Amino acid sequence: MTTNTVVDVHDLEKTYGKANERQYQALKGLNFTVEAGEFVGIMGASGSGKTTLLNMLSTLDTPTKGDVVVNGHDVTKMRGNQLADFRAQEVGFIFQDFNLLESLTAEENIGLPLALKGTSSRVMDQAIHEVADTLSIADLLPKYPAELSGGQKQRIAAARAIVHHPAILMGDEPTGALDSTSARELLDLMTTINREQHMSVLLVTHDPFSASFCQRILFIKDGQIGSEIKRGEQDRSAFYQQILNELGTFNE
Amino acid sequence: MLGKLALAGIKNRRRDYLVLLVGLTMSAAIFYMFANLATNQAFIKANAVVSQAAIIFGFGAVLLILITIVYIMYANSFLLSMRQHDYGLFMMLGATRKRVGELVFLETLILGTLATAVGIVLGLLMSQFLVGLLLDMLGLHLAHLSAFYLPAVIATAVLYVGLFILASLFNLVRLTRTTVLKLLHTDEQANQPKIHPFRQMVSAVLGVLFLAIGYWALAAIKTLQVSAIPVALVTITIGTYLLFRATILVIIQGLRRTKWAKKHLNGFLLGQLNFRVYNYTRMLTIVSLLFAMALGAITVGSGYHRQLPMMANSLGTYTVAIHDKNAQEQKLIDQLNVKHQATYTQKRQGKVVYYNTAELKRQPFELNRGTTEAKYRTHPAYYSESLAKFKKSGSQSLDFLSLAIRSEQGFYAPQFLNAKQFAKQRGKTVTVTTVRVKSMNQDKAVLKHLNKLELQRFAQPSAMTVGNYQSFELMSAFFGGLEFMGYFLGIAFLAMLASCLMFKILSGAPGDKQRYQMLYKIGVRQNLMRHGIAKEIGILFLIPGIMGVIDVLFGLQMFKPLMQSPMSPYLGIGSIFAIFIGLYAIYYVITLLLYWRIVLPKAPAD
Repeated sequence: MTTNTVVDVHDLEKTYGKANERQYQALKGLNFTVEAGEFVGIMGASGSGKTTLLNMLSTLDTPTKGDVVVNGHDVTKMRGNQLADFRAQEVGFIFQDFNLLESLTAEENIGLPLALKGTSSRVMDQAIHEVADTLSIADLLPKYPAELSGGQKQRIAAARAIVHHPAILMGDEPTGALDSTSARELLDLMTTINREQHMSVLLVTHDPFSASFCQRILFIKDGQIGSEIKRGEQDRSAFYQQILNELGTFNE
Repeated sequence: MLGKLALAGIKNRRRDYLVLLVGLTMSAAIFYMFANLATNQAFIKANAVVSQAAIIFGFGAVLLILITIVYIMYANSFLLSMRQHDYGLFMMLGATRKRVGELVFLETLILGTLATAVGIVLGLLMSQFLVGLLLDMLGLHLAHLSAFYLPAVIATAVLYVGLFILASLFNLVRLTRTTVLKLLHTDEQANQPKIHPFRQMVSAVLGVLFLAIGYWALAAIKTLQVSAIPVALVTITIGTYLLFRATILVIIQGLRRTKWAKKHLNGFLLGQLNFRVYNYTRMLTIVSLLFAMALGAITVGSGYHRQLPMMANSLGTYTVAIHDKNAQEQKLIDQLNVKHQATYTQKRQGKVVYYNTAELKRQPFELNRGTTEAKYRTHPAYYSESLAKFKKSGSQSLDFLSLAIRSEQGFYAPQFLNAKQFAKQRGKTVTVTTVRVKSMNQDKAVLKHLNKLELQRFAQPSAMTVGNYQSFELMSAFFGGLEFMGYFLGIAFLAMLASCLMFKILSGAPGDKQRYQMLYKIGVRQNLMRHGIAKEIGILFLIPGIMGVIDVLFGLQMFKPLMQSPMSPYLGIGSIFAIFIGLYAIYYVITLLLYWRIVLPKAPAD
C-alpha cells in the first residue's frame, strides 16, 4: 500500500443473519482503492450494497471478512472508543438527512468535531470561521437548524464534515433531500473542497447527475464491483452521458 | 388485526410499560393506604385526641389527590410519547381515526384499570405490614386499623378509574386531532426559546418579590393565622415559576458563550438543557413544591418524634411519681437511669395533706425554672429553695400539688409540720417517690410499665397528669396523628413526585434517541455520551431539589408556633434531609439507567 492511498478495501464481505438462520450476503468480496485527493463515486441500484459498503468504511458496521484500511488505520481491528475516535478524526460525513443537532446553533454544530477532540476555543473559532468563509455560510452561523432551508442545512453539514480536516469526506446521498439548485450548489462545493483542500471525497449515490461531478465511478451490482468508468479529460456533461450509457447497459 | 399490531407494539416495549405499570400501581397502593386511614371512621375516632385530626387528614387527602392527578397526567404523556409514532404509522397505513381512537382509549383504560386493581391489592398488603411497621417504629399505637376497608377500596377505584377515563379521552382527542405527519415526526422538533431582556428582568424581580411575600407569610403565621398557608402556597408557586423562567435561560445562554461550552459535549448538554428546561419550567416548579412538601412533612413528622421528650421535660420536674411503691415497682425503679430521686411521706386528712418538714429539709423538693421562665425552656434548670421560701412559693407549684390529687375537686392543700407534730397528726399515710430520669427515650419501656401499674392502682381524673412521662404520653397521642401523617405523606409525595419527574424526562427520551444516534455517527465515544446524559438528567433532578430544600428551610417557619421551644422544626433536620435525598437519588439512578437504555445507540455486533 502506498502512502497515497486513502482507502484500501480488500476482499470485503458482509453477510447478514446468523449461521443457523437464513443468511443474506450483501457484499461478496469487494476490492478497490481511493487515492489521496481523488473524487470517487459509488453507484448502484437499491439493494446493491452501496449503503452497506459505506457503513463498513465509516465503521458504523463491521465486515464479516476482509480488510478496510482508511488512512493507514485498519478499521476492522478497532474496538469501542477507537472506532468512535476514528470516526471523529479521520472521516467527515455528509448524510442525506443532514444529521444536524437541532438543539445547537449552526456554529455549535460545526464546532462539535473540534470540541470532541478537545481543541482550544480560540483555535476552534478560527477554524469555524475559516470553513464558514470557504463555504460562504458566515451569516448562517448564529442560526438554529430549524431556521435554515435544506440547502443551507446541508452546507452547514458539509462545514461540520471538513472543519477538522479529515482524511476523507464521505457523502451518503447528500443531495437526496435537496432541490436541484441546492443540489448543484452542494456538488460544486464538494468539488471545490476536493480541489482546493486536496481532500479525498467518496460519494455514494444513485443519481447520475451527482455522480457526474466525480472523477471516477465504481458501479456496484449484487455486492460486487461490476464496472468502473473514469472521467479523464472530458467535460462534465459528456461524462454525464457516459454514466447514463453505462447505467443503461449495466442494469441489463 | 390492528389490535394485534397494537399488542405487538406493546410487547416490543414491555420494559418501558413495566416501569409505567409499576409506577401507577405504587401510586394506587399508596393512595389506598392513605384512604384506608383517612376514611376509616372507627380508626379516626379511636385515635383522634385532637379534634383537628379530621382536618389534618382532609388536608392530606386533598394534597394527595392533587399530586395523583399531576402524576397520572405525566404518566399518561409518557404513554402517549411511546405510542404516537405507532399510531401515526397505523393511520398512514389506512386505519381509520375512529379505529385508532378506540385502540388508544382501550389501551389507556386497560393499563389504568390493571394498575388500579393490582395497586389496591398491593395497598392492602402494604397496609397490613408497612403501616404496622411504621407505627411500631414511631412507638405509636393506633387502634382499629384494619387492612381491608371497603369505602377506601371504592374511593381508590373510583378516583383512579375516573382519572384514567379522563386520560383516555384526552389521548383520544389529542391523537385524532393531530395530523398523521405530526404524529410520525413529533420527536424531531425542538423549540429554541428567545431571551427578552426586559421581560426577563421584570419576571425575575416579580419572582423574587412573590417568593419574599410567600416566605414572609410562612414566618408570620402567628399573625396571619391559617390564611398564611394559601397565601404562601400561591405566592411561592408563582415566584418559583417566574424565577425559573427568568434565570435559568439566562444562565444557560451565558454558559454557552464560555470556553467551557466548547469542550467535548458540554455545548450539546447546554443546548439540550436550553430547550428542555424551558419546556420543563412548569413541571420543575410543581416538582420543587412537592419536593418541599414531602421533605417538610417528613421533617415535621420526625421533629415531633424526636423532640417530644424534650418538650415534656420542660413541663415538670419529675418523670414519674409513684405512690406507696410496692416491690414490683421498686424493681422497675431500680432499672431506671435515675438522675434525681426523693421519697416523701404524706398524711392526708380532709382537704389537707401534711408533709414532714424534716423530710423536706433532708431532700428538698426539686423545682424547674423551665415551667415558669421562658428562657429556661430549652434547657430545664433544676433548683431547690430553702424550706421557708418553699413553704411560701415552691409548695404552690403544680408539680408539688400534683403529688396529692383529690379526684375531681383538685389537689389537697399542703401543710407543713415538724417531725413531732407530723408523727402526732392523724390521717391516711401515703408515701410518694418522685423519680427524674436522664432520658425518657432511653427508659421508655420501663417508664411505660411503671406508669401503667401506678394508674391501675390509683385512678386519676383524666384531665390530670402526674409527672413528665404522663405529659409525654398524652402529647404522643396528641401529635401521633400529625407525626404519622408527616411520615406517610412525605414518603408518598416523594415516591410520586420523583416518578413524575422520571416520566416527564423519559417522555423526552424517544426524541433524544435520534440526537444520540447522530452523535454516535460523527464519532462521539459511548462514555462521553453516558456522562453527558448523566449530567443532563442530574441537572434536571437537581434544580427542583435545590429549590425544594430552600422552600422547606423557609417553610418550616410555619411550624414554629406549633412546635414551641424547646422544640424547633429545625432540630435534627440534617439526617432527615440525608435520607430523603438518598431516596431521591435512587430515582435519579433509575431514570438514568432507563434513559441510557432507551437512548444510547448500540455498537455494531461482530
